[in-house]
Amino acid sequence: MKIEIDEISKDFGSTAALTPVSLSIPSGALVALLGPSGSGKTTLLRILGGLEFPTAGRVLFEGQDATNLTVQERRAGFVFQSYALFRHMTVFENIAYGLRARPRQQRPSNPEITRRVTKLLELIQLPDIGKRYPAQLSGGQRQRVALARALAIEPRMLLLDEPFGALDAKVRKELRQGLRDIHDETGLTTIFVTHDQEEAMELADLVVVMSMGRIEQIGKPADIRARPATDFVRSFIAA
Amino acid sequence: MGRPLVHRSPMPGLGLSAGITLTMLSLVVILPIGALVLQGASFGIAGIWDTIHRERVWKALFLSFRISLYAALFNLVFGVILAWVLARYSFPGRRILDAAVDLPFALPTAVAGIALTALYAPNGLFGAAWKDHIAPALNIALEVPAYILNLVAVPLGFEAFVFEVPPRIAYATPGIFIALVFVGLPFVARTVQPVIHEIEREVEEASATLGASRYYTLARVIWPMLMPAALTGFALSLARAVGEYGSVIFIAGNKPLLTEIAPLLVVIQLEQFNYDNAAAIGIAMLVISFAMLLVINLIQVWSRRRIGYV
Amino acid sequence: MSDFAAGSPANRPQPQPGINPNEARFQAPTDEPLLLRWSLIAIAAFFLILLVFAPLTAVFAEALSKGWGAAVKSLQSREAISAIKLTLLVAAIVVPLNAVFGIAAAWFITKFDFRGKAFLITLIDLPFSVSPVVAGLCIVLLFGANTAIGAWLVANGFPIVFALPGIVLATVFVTFPFVARELIPVMIEQGRAEEEAALTLGASGWRTFFTVTLPNIRWALLYGLLLCNARAMGEFGAVAVVSGKRESATTMPLRIEMFYNEYLSVAAFSLAGLLAFFALLTLLLKTWLESRHADALSASRRGH
Repeated sequence: MKIEIDEISKDFGSTAALTPVSLSIPSGALVALLGPSGSGKTTLLRILGGLEFPTAGRVLFEGQDATNLTVQERRAGFVFQSYALFRHMTVFENIAYGLRARPRQQRPSNPEITRRVTKLLELIQLPDIGKRYPAQLSGGQRQRVALARALAIEPRMLLLDEPFGALDAKVRKELRQGLRDIHDETGLTTIFVTHDQEEAMELADLVVVMSMGRIEQIGKPADIRARPATDFVRSFIAA
Repeated sequence: MGRPLVHRSPMPGLGLSAGITLTMLSLVVILPIGALVLQGASFGIAGIWDTIHRERVWKALFLSFRISLYAALFNLVFGVILAWVLARYSFPGRRILDAAVDLPFALPTAVAGIALTALYAPNGLFGAAWKDHIAPALNIALEVPAYILNLVAVPLGFEAFVFEVPPRIAYATPGIFIALVFVGLPFVARTVQPVIHEIEREVEEASATLGASRYYTLARVIWPMLMPAALTGFALSLARAVGEYGSVIFIAGNKPLLTEIAPLLVVIQLEQFNYDNAAAIGIAMLVISFAMLLVINLIQVWSRRRIGYV
Repeated sequence: MSDFAAGSPANRPQPQPGINPNEARFQAPTDEPLLLRWSLIAIAAFFLILLVFAPLTAVFAEALSKGWGAAVKSLQSREAISAIKLTLLVAAIVVPLNAVFGIAAAWFITKFDFRGKAFLITLIDLPFSVSPVVAGLCIVLLFGANTAIGAWLVANGFPIVFALPGIVLATVFVTFPFVARELIPVMIEQGRAEEEAALTLGASGWRTFFTVTLPNIRWALLYGLLLCNARAMGEFGAVAVVSGKRESATTMPLRIEMFYNEYLSVAAFSLAGLLAFFALLTLLLKTWLESRHADALSASRRGH
């Protein structure tokens, strides 16, 4: 799905988290929002997901104004930094949650839910953990379960907030490839937030470098490396 | 021999602290409770049963437990609401409400007892309003469901139903209920409140992004997280209510067989120097509180095993 | 690169997006609908008024129903004064006893590893789940004049039941866990490192306790003592059983009951008002501790 961000700004009280930013993301792209903490990248992601409302500006999905869509209506698969798995539910119930939460007419039957969850568990290559509780999983497994849970609702896009932030270096590398594979398999427009320039450059088709609530540069990783648009980008990607 | 009883430690004061702890514990808690248990053992389970099976004792125990259960159930619902409101919402007067929740812990029960009686007695402010206005109005309103029910019930051969609210609060079972709600008020709210503070907002947001409405999130995500704490608070409030004496005796009316609670019977038996009867009732109450303690611990074990925290 | 970036707004045909009027109406996904929110607040306030604020007001209103003079005069009666004295005396004995026990128990439990620790904690918490009346009963059964110990004590001029020692014992029983259960979580959180450091620097055990441990736990200790004191002054059931309604063993709550049963309403409510005033003072101090020294209290006391 094509996503357009049209002059979005966001104030929290008197502090501006985003000065007007505009961005167009082609359907099926894998995009990194890259920047240091406080650059507004997470705020932008949360606005796309419907978790925050912009002070000014619009969000368009496939050319349609989506600014006023509620978070439920947006159907954005959102993976949180802490994964936010439901601790009192098994992995299976976590993944099935979005399907069970649907209104009765749209809710799949129980066998259908089981089929879909099983398929998702295979997709994340953890077919045998359905009966476990999140507390019994490793960090990397939790991240993949969170991803499967987000995919279960047949999302229109995938939004990930620092998806590898809480993992150690080795697991990080493995899961990067995992995200790439899932993106390629599903073809979903995918946006992830990161402060790690290496991660952004390696994984994304398109990198959006942000700082202080502004977009510093938008481009393919190679272009940003070769031609940093500002001093900030130059020093940030050198780090 | 496996593990040593006490591991060696460089910390000073082992003897002193262990000595004080165990001496006080024995003198104040273990010996007196042991005296009660011994007294009970001397006349055996059959003897205890004979005492508590007498109508007056049995009714008192049943009344204490029944009204305590109602009060604890009320506190379960109200306590969760209270904890949620105090933890999540900001509104003028929030801090005063928050402090007020602890008043039942701080206010002596005798004070609460006479104050509640003054308010809810038939000549008190709320008692009079209930007797003269609220109860009659409710009785008229209750004629509607009774009428509808009787449309079906009477042709089927049942006696016609009449619904009526009790005419008085104090000196009747509703008064006992109010006193027990008062003394148990803080338990659920104060056990649930810290749990609400610990819920990550991201978990609720995750539920919303997966398409769940706010009500679905409250029912399927938040309530299961609060439930262990709420049940613990419920059991604490129930245990407190079953044993409560001070606040109830003023408002209950203390009519044998009708509004006489079990702790009052213990006191009456002691005043008549019937130590055996007092001990038998006391043991029955002790068993109830130990059962409750066990339930609380089981809830916590269950909760910890399932989701890794209490 | 140009196929990704949006064109500058000036080139767009549609009007420049302005401030969103909907931002204020946006409902965060973690908020309840406004109507539900205010209904819940109303329910909370309604029942707290009915159950807490109204009785509290009633105490003072009844006490002052015949004016300040009558209330003050009733507090100066011989019975009232002796009850106040006895209650203060009991609190003055029980609170320090509990402080010593609470500190010792918390030190023993948190500074040493031993078998049966969980069981010990359960035993310390036990008085909370025993009815105060049953607690009093236990003491009567142990020390009453009909028992061997009790008879011997009475014969030697030291009666426990129906006298001050019994009241103290009953009050210590019902307030037993207060200090220990405030201190244990705080001392677990703080660990043993500071004490170990002091010991390696050559401090003696007592010096370590007074210069390292005590400053760290003082607010939690004060918190526990505050709750302990409130309960000690207000305990009714346990004390009623062991005092046997003897004139010489009548504390404030017991005297309130006697006044009330003799239809001395002003006297009963004046004494009740005095206790209610202490309760309010306790709440005030408690709220102050929770807001000012939150980090020095156990985790469940924070979060305000």
